[in-house]
Amino acid sequence: MMFRRILVGLDGSEGGRHALEMAADLATLCKAELLVVSIEEKLPAYAATVGEVEDEERHEHRYFRQIQHEARRLIEPRGIPLHMEVVPGHPALALARLASERDCDLIVLGHTGHSRLHHLFLGSTADRVVERAHCAVLVVR
Amino acid sequence: MESNVWLIAAAWMALALLASLISIRVGISVALIEILIGVVAGNFLGVHSTPWIDFLATFGSGLLTFLAGAEIDPESLRRHLKPAAAIGTVSFLGPFLGAAAFARWVGGWEPHAAWIAGISLSTTSVAVVYAVMLETGLNRTELGKLILAACFITDFGTVLALGILFANFNAWLLLFVAVTAAVLWQLPRLTRLVIARVGHRVSEPEVKFIFLVLFLLGGLAKLARSEAVLPAYLVGLVIAGVFVRDRVLMERMRTIAFTMLTPFYFLKAGLYVSLPAVGTGALLIVAFLLLKMGTKIVGVWPLTHLFRFGRRDGLYTTLLMSTGLTFGTISALFGLSNHIIDQGQYTILVTVVIGSAVIPTLIAQHYFEPRLPQPVAKMAVPEAGVSSPVPES
Repeated sequence: MMFRRILVGLDGSEGGRHALEMAADLATLCKAELLVVSIEEKLPAYAATVGEVEDEERHEHRYFRQIQHEARRLIEPRGIPLHMEVVPGHPALALARLASERDCDLIVLGHTGHSRLHHLFLGSTADRVVERAHCAVLVVR
Repeated sequence: MESNVWLIAAAWMALALLASLISIRVGISVALIEILIGVVAGNFLGVHSTPWIDFLATFGSGLLTFLAGAEIDPESLRRHLKPAAAIGTVSFLGPFLGAAAFARWVGGWEPHAAWIAGISLSTTSVAVVYAVMLETGLNRTELGKLILAACFITDFGTVLALGILFANFNAWLLLFVAVTAAVLWQLPRLTRLVIARVGHRVSEPEVKFIFLVLFLLGGLAKLARSEAVLPAYLVGLVIAGVFVRDRVLMERMRTIAFTMLTPFYFLKAGLYVSLPAVGTGALLIVAFLLLKMGTKIVGVWPLTHLFRFGRRDGLYTTLLMSTGLTFGTISALFGLSNHIIDQGQYTILVTVVIGSAVIPTLIAQHYFEPRLPQPVAKMAVPEAGVSSPVPES
């Protein structure tokens, strides 16, 4: 099967890095485009002021820009058409939604990523993406 | 230990630091964690407040209220004034009257205590709403901006009620109203002038100027037996336009508030929550929570239809308008500090307020999250871009 557009989740973890490498290999093989997505998941829930949320988002945004900058340096020399996005939200829901909206036909995820405490009780990000995604999902170990 | 200010300060700052670390780890706001740590400290560690902590906490609540007023987008409020005023007013009046009546006639609370219940449960948390909308991207849509504007109107109703209902209608109140009106009229111009002439120096004259205004109007409010949060919110509202253009000033105010003042406020708010009273008041807590959400639904949902929201958007908006945190705890603590309500009633109200921050949000996110009209891409991905609206810093 040939993939046209591959979405890979990048969260700064070791698992995320493996997923990026695998997605880049697949994109090269299939001559596909690569969409690298990072989710700002640690925005404070039940905040007291709007400022608290804004400050935390800025912090997360800076972090992911750095992560994506490093990913770009790795991928660009391979000549893969590359797009990058940082979006706030719940990782699983946001990844599944973006994959659908951007017409991706494969989602690649690391097996273990950074995850908030309550996600332990709700299942892993990968589990939930598999449940919700409209396309194939590849979980990389 | 009792007379050692440094050790008392160290103990409170240790609790505040612990709250920050937990907040960062679990992704829940530091305010909510501080309240919960305050509950533990008050019930199990014997921590109690002192007069100087009371002052820091009071100043913290005033500064929080000021920041809440200053965070408004004046342009957005102007653009959506009609629907926002209608939804925001009903969103305030429904739970305010409903909870007050319920507390008075079903709970058997004294009239003034019943008003405190009404005020505490009338609120909508702009911050909770904003955080939820940020995750869906709704904050960038016109619907999102309308919802936020309506939340500001609701909170304005809350601080207005808190400032007026318990005030003495005498010469002090007249003086307070006159001075507040004059100050608010000139404040945007004066603040711009201070910033232009002496702003952004190490001695921070513009921050001191704003503090001076808050202290002065808070003092006059106290003389009139009103509440300092009313002028604080109004001051924030009238200089919101200045803050929109001066993000550095806003960030400095936030730093001062979140480092040194609001931890004392939120820890203190939790300190007076009695866990045994949560058990004995459980039925009342559930009833108040259902009442708050029910009155918001009855009031706000039909209006969302009137203003042509879709069914899903309408329910989502209504549930978000049922949230509350900061102003709810401020109102309850005002009642407790002024001996209008007792600790048992305070416990019930603060528990309901915390529940109203969490439960409607979860329901809204899980069942009624709006589907955003975004393009299904044929190469719609921004080239090398980031979709988040956060500016580079």
